[in-house]
Amino acid sequence: MSFPLLILFGFAVLLLILLGWVLRTPRVSAKTYSDSVFMDQSDRRNVTYFPQVRQALAVDDFAFLASRGSRSLVCRVRKERRRIALAYLESLRNDFLELWGLARVVASLSPKVSIAQEFERLRLGLTFAVRYETIRITFLLGFAPLPALGSLSEVVGRLAIRLETAMRDLGERSALAANLASSLDGRGLDTP
Amino acid sequence: MGRFPLYILLLWASSSVAQLVVLALLVPKGKFRKLPFFAAYVALDLCQAIFLVGVYSAPGLSDVTIKDLAWYSECVTLVAQALATTEILRVTLRPYQGIWGLVWRGLMFTSTLVLLLVAMATRGDWEKEKWFELNRGYHLIFAAAVITCLLLIRYYSIHVPAAYKMILAGFCFYSCTEILINTVLQAVLKKSFDAYQPIWQSSTMLSFIVVLFIWAAALWQPLPVEARPPAPPSDSIHQRLSPEINERLRELNENLLRLWKLEARPQ
Repeated sequence: MSFPLLILFGFAVLLLILLGWVLRTPRVSAKTYSDSVFMDQSDRRNVTYFPQVRQALAVDDFAFLASRGSRSLVCRVRKERRRIALAYLESLRNDFLELWGLARVVASLSPKVSIAQEFERLRLGLTFAVRYETIRITFLLGFAPLPALGSLSEVVGRLAIRLETAMRDLGERSALAANLASSLDGRGLDTP
Repeated sequence: MGRFPLYILLLWASSSVAQLVVLALLVPKGKFRKLPFFAAYVALDLCQAIFLVGVYSAPGLSDVTIKDLAWYSECVTLVAQALATTEILRVTLRPYQGIWGLVWRGLMFTSTLVLLLVAMATRGDWEKEKWFELNRGYHLIFAAAVITCLLLIRYYSIHVPAAYKMILAGFCFYSCTEILINTVLQAVLKKSFDAYQPIWQSSTMLSFIVVLFIWAAALWQPLPVEARPPAPPSDSIHQRLSPEINERLRELNENLLRLWKLEARPQ
């Protein structure tokens, strides 16, 4: 098989794979995002737990333990607290993904979408994923970059507040539209 | 019609029956009014089959003329296929005006890109195989464009009713199998189009029959109620929020980078 034909063949196989993937039912739909996830969890975002995580990873704590306890105890505590920090980082990522998804919902409900902004967000999402993995590995290797983790939490928190306001606004508009729709009859349409 | 083996004629007949079934499913409850271009496409396909029976049975027509007429009729159905697909995407995305704007731009971009790829990959005797190459090129562009749209729809978590999803899947599946069949046959047999025409015909007809079954299953149930716009114009919200959200996400990314570069220290 010649090279151009090989490219065509590969492209067709890739398209078939993509078709199969794209037709799978997505885990979370736009409706689920706007109706339940955000509204239900907006009051308990993970960024609020930063002071506890900071305390858990404080260098002073380890110094104190090292002076009073055994080395094995320090190791055990450090391991345990690193696990907590990783769980916290994971929850920050979940917050980011949730907010990122909500930004997409805002875009999907808008009558005009800026392509540049959408591409920018896509790029940011990909960059975030790469950096998140890097930091996670850094944590796993025994590093604890606390000050930046604090500002990271702050950013997620601020974004959450802004989006919460926007989603509430959209929710009110959707409710208004639903009321208008329900006041009209559905003649000529067959219901599923 | 004696020029075709019996199994080709049987496949042809089966395909026509399946098209009739799909058309019959479009008639009740005015489904064809919801998807007029799709209904027209299925009807045109059936008309093409009847036209081809006439062309192949007509005495005195040369092979070249018959082939050209067959391909001209194929052009008509391919245009109808593109229109039917656009119609389904339009119906699905009607409540999402912004995304529809994004999708048709995506369609244009992908089509241009794939067109270039097709032009680069086209080889062989153009005079002999032009229809064959054009057909494959069309299906490549079509499948890539529709899958790009479906990817965008998935990215924005927009719900596509199952019936529409199955119809779109049928179109894409058919185009992908056409590309595969054409490419494999061209590579394996390494002869002119005439040498593998019966194999090409039977395999493409088989894949089309599979697609017709998928469409019949999609149309078996009632079509979804046309979605109304979920909210009054919220353009200002997006215009205001989108740059702000991106700015926050960028800030978040920068924090992550700082976290990695500057603050990391061993304990």
